[in-house]
Amino acid sequence: MIELFDVTKRFGSETAVDAISLRVEKGEFCALVGSSGCGKSTTLRMINRLIEHSEGEIHLDGQPVRSFNEELLRRRIGYVIQNTGLFPHWTVARNIGLVPRLLKWPRGKIRARTEELLGLLGLPREEFADKYPHQLSGGQAQRVGVARALAADPEILLMDEPFGALDPITREALQRELQDIQARLNKTVVFVTHDMDEALALADRLVVMHQGRIIQQGRPIDLLHDPVDAFVESLLGGLDRGLKEAALTRVSERMAPFGPRLLASERIPYRASLSQALSVMLWHRVERLTVVDDEDIPIGELSLRRLLGAKSS
Amino acid sequence: MLVGLMAWLVLDAVNVTPNRIVSGTPYRAYEVHGWWAALLAGVPMLAVMVLAWRPDVRRLQAALVVVVGLLSAMPLWLATAVAALADPDMPQARLGVGSSLWLLLFLWLLVVIELRTRLGLPRAFGWLLLLPILIGWWLSLSFWLEPLALFREYQVRSEQFASAIVYHLALVGAAVGASLVLGIVLALGMRRYPGMRKAGFSVLNVVQTIPSLALFGLLLAPLAWLSSRFDWLASMGVSGIGWAPAWLALVGYSLLPMVRNTYVALEGVEPAVIESARGMGMSRRQAFLQVRLPLALPVVLEGVRITTVQAIGLTAVAALIGAGGLGTFIFQGLGQAAMDLVLLGALPIIALALVADALLGALAERFRHGGTP
Repeated sequence: MIELFDVTKRFGSETAVDAISLRVEKGEFCALVGSSGCGKSTTLRMINRLIEHSEGEIHLDGQPVRSFNEELLRRRIGYVIQNTGLFPHWTVARNIGLVPRLLKWPRGKIRARTEELLGLLGLPREEFADKYPHQLSGGQAQRVGVARALAADPEILLMDEPFGALDPITREALQRELQDIQARLNKTVVFVTHDMDEALALADRLVVMHQGRIIQQGRPIDLLHDPVDAFVESLLGGLDRGLKEAALTRVSERMAPFGPRLLASERIPYRASLSQALSVMLWHRVERLTVVDDEDIPIGELSLRRLLGAKSS
Repeated sequence: MLVGLMAWLVLDAVNVTPNRIVSGTPYRAYEVHGWWAALLAGVPMLAVMVLAWRPDVRRLQAALVVVVGLLSAMPLWLATAVAALADPDMPQARLGVGSSLWLLLFLWLLVVIELRTRLGLPRAFGWLLLLPILIGWWLSLSFWLEPLALFREYQVRSEQFASAIVYHLALVGAAVGASLVLGIVLALGMRRYPGMRKAGFSVLNVVQTIPSLALFGLLLAPLAWLSSRFDWLASMGVSGIGWAPAWLALVGYSLLPMVRNTYVALEGVEPAVIESARGMGMSRRQAFLQVRLPLALPVVLEGVRITTVQAIGLTAVAALIGAGGLGTFIFQGLGQAAMDLVLLGALPIIALALVADALLGALAERFRHGGTP
């Protein structure tokens, strides 16, 4: 659990972060969003004391971060940054084993852990363990960056625009993998991004920052329904907000059992989002879709009315 | 190659002198063994030219073999020239190497280097290529080339020569070593105190622009004064002339490239890498020793390379103030108008500089292991 109490950071006379309070529960995925220069990265880096806060208190599991030795504190917190920060003179395996080595794990345990993580991130050990970072693609390098952050099994993961430099396809793949990993490992994650779709897709809690202050926080769906002001509204997509909300809901949540009618000819996987279902309807000019499972077997149907949220079809 | 062929046929290949002072009689290549032999020797050169005309891997490899063969054969040809020109009446006569052979040597070595890079052969292979050439020269020098003027000069001073090389290297090593330590300390200081950076670089820049002889002169007076004041300094051999001012001047000249490279190398490490090192929980020391320093090392070694090559050359000048080393032969030779003695000093200096350059370059490359391309 991470708690910030009235935390302020000043650089000279400039206030980068202005008296913010925030509470991230254990196992929660918290996304900090806002335009650049709003203080979100600074906030993240105050948690692992790469930047020391000027005022207020930051607690980890109820203990102030200043009570820890700063190096020992950071070894307990996974940290991922945008340009990976992998050490170019070390192999992938050595990069991943960095924190365990700092923690003086026995050698065999480090090797086993490295292999486990390479597997977890979908990088076959034989192919990647002995490569150097410059031999990797952007997506692979960032996978290694995530593996390195997870190496010593930290409770907390701090991620500073980790997928910002990747192409959209790779970014989406990595977002999905991060969701899977999060579902399995249940880490407490603080994730900085300026990509609202990314934040909406990943976060349990969305924190919108502007000029060093938190202007709204809560569940993504609540923010979409009830933005406090025009800034939050525009940040959340303005007129596109309906689609963003639809993107948060899965087809399986709205589908209905088969009705008396024939199966609709167009199909949609049950894992797809409502916005994708709407897109399929728009594309084929139809009002009804057949919902299929992973094996492409029909399991239900989705009508436009149900998609829109009406009770009966 | 065409230039080489022309040189071979037109310029003097060797000259024969009855003794050291009198200028010799030049002979062209065809005058030694006759036209046919000279043209025959031209055939491999023509062959290389033809092979290089439409290059592919096979042809370039063949050309490389031919040129290495030529280089190895050159001393053997010299040996036959010695045999042909030897005059039993003048056992003291000496044979100077003429301009065409120097030019050929230079051109062929260039061709070897060019071919090696074009074929993308590894550095170690380059050394392997030099092996037959060196063996050829060494064999001929030890058995057949006694009347060669350069060799005569060497024979007279063989002990002096060995100690001069050792002394030269010791002086260079001491200067480079001292400036490496000082350079790293200064670069670290400059990184911590930005004010020191400006001042430091401008002082070093000024030192760099002082002509070397002037710097030796400037050091003469204060050092002489110091050694007269402090006996322990004098007993160490510190005085206005000799190794002390030479060493000091060498360190002074070496500092700028050393500090600049070290500073740039340390600053040039990507900030994201250092941030992640700190963010992962490395201490400042660990981040410096395990990340910043190894990443900077190739560029630091580049500084050592530049400095060493520069110092090898400068030490030659230091002979003027009695610092010893190979420069002694050069200045003696100049004083006595004996070009071969000058060469006896100059050739090893060039060789030393080239070897140091190659070795340190290879070392820097090794430390780039896997790192940023």
